[in-house]
Amino acid sequence: MRYGFAIDTKRCIGCHTCSVACRIENNLPTGVWWNRALTDGGEHMDTPAGEFPNVSMSYVTVACQHCENPACVKVCPVGATYKDPETGVVRQDYDKCIGCRMCMGACPYTGVRSFNWEEPQHVIDFPVGDAEVPEHQKHVVEKCTMCWHRLAKGEQPMCVTTCLARARFWGDLDDPSSEVATLVRERSSKQLLAEEGTNPSVYYLV
Amino acid sequence: MTNMQFSDVAVSDEMDFSEGGREAASAAGRSAERAKEKAQAWGGAALNAVIGVSGVLTVAGVALWGIQLSGGMVQTAMRNLDSWGLYITMFMFFVGLSAGGLIISSVPKAFGIKGFGGISKVAVYSSIACTVAAIGFVVVDLGQPVRLWELFAYSNLGSPLMWDIVVLGTYLILSCVYLWAQVQSEKGKVSAAALRVISVIALVCAVLVHSVTAWIFGLQVGREMWHTALLAPWFVSSALVCGTGLVMLVCMGLSKAGYLEFSRENLVKLAKLLGAFVCVDLYFFGCDLLTEAFPAAGGMEVVTMLVSGPLAPFFWVEIIGCILCAAVCFVPSLRKPGLLAVGAVLAIAGIFCKRVQLLVGGFQLTNLDMPGPVTSLSVTNWESGFSGAYSGLVYWPTPLEFGVALGVVALAVLIFCLGVKFLPLRPKED
Repeated sequence: MRYGFAIDTKRCIGCHTCSVACRIENNLPTGVWWNRALTDGGEHMDTPAGEFPNVSMSYVTVACQHCENPACVKVCPVGATYKDPETGVVRQDYDKCIGCRMCMGACPYTGVRSFNWEEPQHVIDFPVGDAEVPEHQKHVVEKCTMCWHRLAKGEQPMCVTTCLARARFWGDLDDPSSEVATLVRERSSKQLLAEEGTNPSVYYLV
Repeated sequence: MTNMQFSDVAVSDEMDFSEGGREAASAAGRSAERAKEKAQAWGGAALNAVIGVSGVLTVAGVALWGIQLSGGMVQTAMRNLDSWGLYITMFMFFVGLSAGGLIISSVPKAFGIKGFGGISKVAVYSSIACTVAAIGFVVVDLGQPVRLWELFAYSNLGSPLMWDIVVLGTYLILSCVYLWAQVQSEKGKVSAAALRVISVIALVCAVLVHSVTAWIFGLQVGREMWHTALLAPWFVSSALVCGTGLVMLVCMGLSKAGYLEFSRENLVKLAKLLGAFVCVDLYFFGCDLLTEAFPAAGGMEVVTMLVSGPLAPFFWVEIIGCILCAAVCFVPSLRKPGLLAVGAVLAIAGIFCKRVQLLVGGFQLTNLDMPGPVTSLSVTNWESGFSGAYSGLVYWPTPLEFGVALGVVALAVLIFCLGVKFLPLRPKED
């Protein structure tokens, strides 16, 4: 089993709903984004590349790529980041993390790992999202869990459920009959930074 | 206290690896032995002042570290996209500085060649002080230092960081054993053969500790600046440069203070070694720059960043400082104690700049340079957005980081000065 995503960049409208849903579902502290919609275009967010009228713009939503060959897992000195052998999900144990940030140095996917540089802050004074989400800790690294708590209940990750444009798909890439495996097989797709050899479990349909 | 003890004897330009001069050395050793027995605790008011000041700075550093831990590392300039900073730079730097002493002391013993005249124990002790500082810098960089025990309980032996912790610990213990063995062998309690075996092991460990430190960076495929097979040998050569520079400065200082006699002959020998190491280090840099630049592809970014980009000041200080240092070391008429001291300082400063380039350079180039949401936790200069954060240096330390770093450096100075005062490090024989 290898859980992964297929993300249709032709349908993605860059609305950031997946990122916001992720923040709420996982009660993310202020300033922390596990999933971000990056603009594949000009120098600034939401600006196109090129010169009018020959302009282009699309979005790449980037979170932990749950690599089949994860660079972060190899370097963690205490095994706080590890790959779940059954599902292939790359997980992070907050209680074990010593905060050395070696994984952040190793991960090629700029900015998907996030360190709590301060005591987690929240705008509202009660937790939101799912009660099963482990509490955020100061001075440890965290990242997308693939909504592990939802998978345990047989549900899809929240970013997939809430995607307005229905651009996000989730499932078992090893099961040829699954929706994600079919999409990856039938559409042309790319993995981010495939040349790094990490073999991400997130496929971008192009 | 003040008069220079460099003898003005004309010195031949050749390195003297002969076994000659043993008798003279042992005679000198006997007189030094008598001198040592007189002074168990050495040093005057100046040394006490240095011990006092470094002690105060160490305590201040620990207090600032407490502030960093309680108030959060948000008080440092490190952020998600530049997740290491001054502490890891200093860690690399101090691992390098620790090399010189141990290697300069152990190579002559391991290969049975003539050493550098009585500086062996002080040199090894400087290694010990630097190694303690290096470990200190890793500890202050940790978010959860109280979980340090997990390193031994849940060791992931595949992690280069774990290798480094194992090798650095071994290195520290071995340096202490080596120093102890030298003291014991002078008393005739450890045989010369045993000392030689220990010096060989120490030498291997010294080379390993630099390689493993390099692998923390060099094995990361995701960072263009770091990922090169050259990094490990390059770390060894950089370590030799700044380590030799440090030993030279320490010995010149201690000789000026009358702690030991560091002859001009030995100074020139060390200077020539330093010059050679500097050239090797520059050669490696040249190889690396050419390999990055020649395909005119991705690696070109690295070269531009160093030569004319945000890291250019550090690059040029290193290159020019190292060239000047080599010139001072190689041109006989320039080999005056004052200039050699300047040369050694330039070499050490150059290697520090190298560490800055390596660390900041690793974060300065991003793999996914598409703009997206940026928060105060994303990157140091986040206010001006993604492109603004990378227009200058992506990272610059905060005063708190400078304070904590000063504290760790003060700890090394404190350890060194206490050793000079209380430990039997003065030369006896060589």
